Amino acid sequence: MNLRPGYLSALGFLALVLGLVILPQIVPDPFAVDIFIRVLLFAFIGVAWNLLGGYAKQLSLGHAAYFGLGAYTSTILLIRYEISPWIGLLAGGLVAMLASLPIGALCFRLRGPYFTISTIATAQVLMLLFLKFRDFAWGAEGTTIPNLGDSPWMMQFDDKASYYYVVLALLGVGLAVTFWVERSWIGYYLVALGEDSDAAEAVGVNVARIKRDIYMISAFLTGLAGTFYIQYIYFIDPNTAFNFNISVEAALVSIVGGVGTMWGPVVGAVLLEPASALVQSWLGASHGGVQLTLYAVILMAVILWRPDGLLGFFTDIYERIFRASPRGATAPSAIPGMALDE
Amino acid sequence: MEAVVAQALVNGLLIGGIYALVSIGVTLIFGVVKIVNFAQGEFVMLGMYISYWLATHIGLDPVASLVVSMPVLFVTGVLLQRVLIRRVLGLGDMPQIFLTFALSLLLINVALLLFTADYRTVQTSYSDSAIRIGPVYIGVARLIAFVVAMLLTGALDVFLRVTDLGKAMRAASQSPEVAMLMGINPDHVFSVAVGLSLALAGAAGSLIMPFYSVNPSVGQVFVLMAFVVVVLGTLGNVRGAFIASLMMGIAESLGIQFIGADSGLIVVFAVLLLTLAVKPSGLFGGRTR
Repeated sequence: MNLRPGYLSALGFLALVLGLVILPQIVPDPFAVDIFIRVLLFAFIGVAWNLLGGYAKQLSLGHAAYFGLGAYTSTILLIRYEISPWIGLLAGGLVAMLASLPIGALCFRLRGPYFTISTIATAQVLMLLFLKFRDFAWGAEGTTIPNLGDSPWMMQFDDKASYYYVVLALLGVGLAVTFWVERSWIGYYLVALGEDSDAAEAVGVNVARIKRDIYMISAFLTGLAGTFYIQYIYFIDPNTAFNFNISVEAALVSIVGGVGTMWGPVVGAVLLEPASALVQSWLGASHGGVQLTLYAVILMAVILWRPDGLLGFFTDIYERIFRASPRGATAPSAIPGMALDE
Repeated sequence: MEAVVAQALVNGLLIGGIYALVSIGVTLIFGVVKIVNFAQGEFVMLGMYISYWLATHIGLDPVASLVVSMPVLFVTGVLLQRVLIRRVLGLGDMPQIFLTFALSLLLINVALLLFTADYRTVQTSYSDSAIRIGPVYIGVARLIAFVVAMLLTGALDVFLRVTDLGKAMRAASQSPEVAMLMGINPDHVFSVAVGLSLALAGAAGSLIMPFYSVNPSVGQVFVLMAFVVVVLGTLGNVRGAFIASLMMGIAESLGIQFIGADSGLIVVFAVLLLTLAVKPSGLFGGRTR
């Protein structure tokens, strides 16, 4: 039987989806499901970040801005107007997307590290504004999300598995968008712009427009993550919603996994989130610095040793183990000329 | 009213001198090595802890402990360049930005594990004394910090303009290839640049210790301020960074005085965003980058 790589990867993908769907049924332990949810959430945020940071090479450290805007939009709609967070989810994404227009217009005036710095500033300004204007959204105290019991229409569930499926679906959306972007004309423009933005501009790529569009998509997805997270933890305040660590982890999972690859952020989240959750549960919350120390060491090691990310490392190992001999055996039938070289 | 404004102006100017030390360090590394050091604030934090421990253990005055903190941080800077930064030169934005960013995370969190999140202060004989000039009070500790900061800034400016090494540094920042052809060893020049930059950060830490409390995340304030200053004062321009630092110190101080104690940073970021909107090349830049 001759399985072509296309079928193989399609089969592998189906197996992966099936495995992910039945995972909370096999491992129903709430602590484990909580870790799965974190993995999927940060994989999703990483996928959103990666569209801008990985494909367009615009390294943002301010994605907490969109996370927080999404979170506050749905919460204000829910508490003030009793509008379902499902609608709030889309509204939050749209608010985040619209906010990316003026923010992008300012920050894209700077390049490289200074773009990064200006994005930090935007997220911090939003946090400070939400802290300052108490009448608008509860100020520094924040608010709890009213618990309505098991009400799926209000995105509230008794069991953690349901939250798991929501965030799994979000990740699916993020990956589908990435898949589409990679294969559309935007994807080619992004590669050109990421390689050399001046050269891309010179051959007629509208660099400003592409950056704006990809930033809007990235912000929209990050806004969705914000709504989900706040619905999941039932609490919001400016420090949670606009937390700098959100911006850091968005970039971190992508870099550790591999920037500018579809599965990189997923691999990064799978490696980082369980490790950090386990370290935290072993040492307790009293050791405040442990998690970030761990992240910092991993980030440095990856940058110095494998700047293209660990996805590439795993692919190399896989190729070395599984491809070396079978490929050599099948290659002659596929490409006759190659047989001479083997 | 005028007295309040005058007081805010003086306070802002004095702290602006400290911002200048940190910002000039950032701009020096950027100018010569072409790296933005996200960990610069953490070296201010290290300088502060060095002065704190020297003051509490052997009773050394924080300002005098400059003689320890500056050399220690100079050596740290040389090692930083030789061990870490050198490996990411020419590798593109991602490794360059996130290497020093990771270093910043590491230093903050290791400090948190070692020293806890407690705020620590050093009480000196002059910590609470002030000179009165008309309606304005000038804190003695702040004045000493400002004067020493000015002396160090001036010394650096002279060093860059007069000495061979300083000239080599400026040459390497303008064109590394040509500088190499002229026999300048870039490794050496880069190490000294990073060393000097960190020594300035350490000096800033020691100088503010008599009137500022230290905790592991204290550096964040300084590095954010330095970034805003460096953008405002045109990237890689030492004198631009100096003038912009004094301006930002004053802007922050006026913000705290007239909008609220927690509004200093809002004013600073507002200035950054306004600069980007109006003149993204900074106050001293020519055309837009």
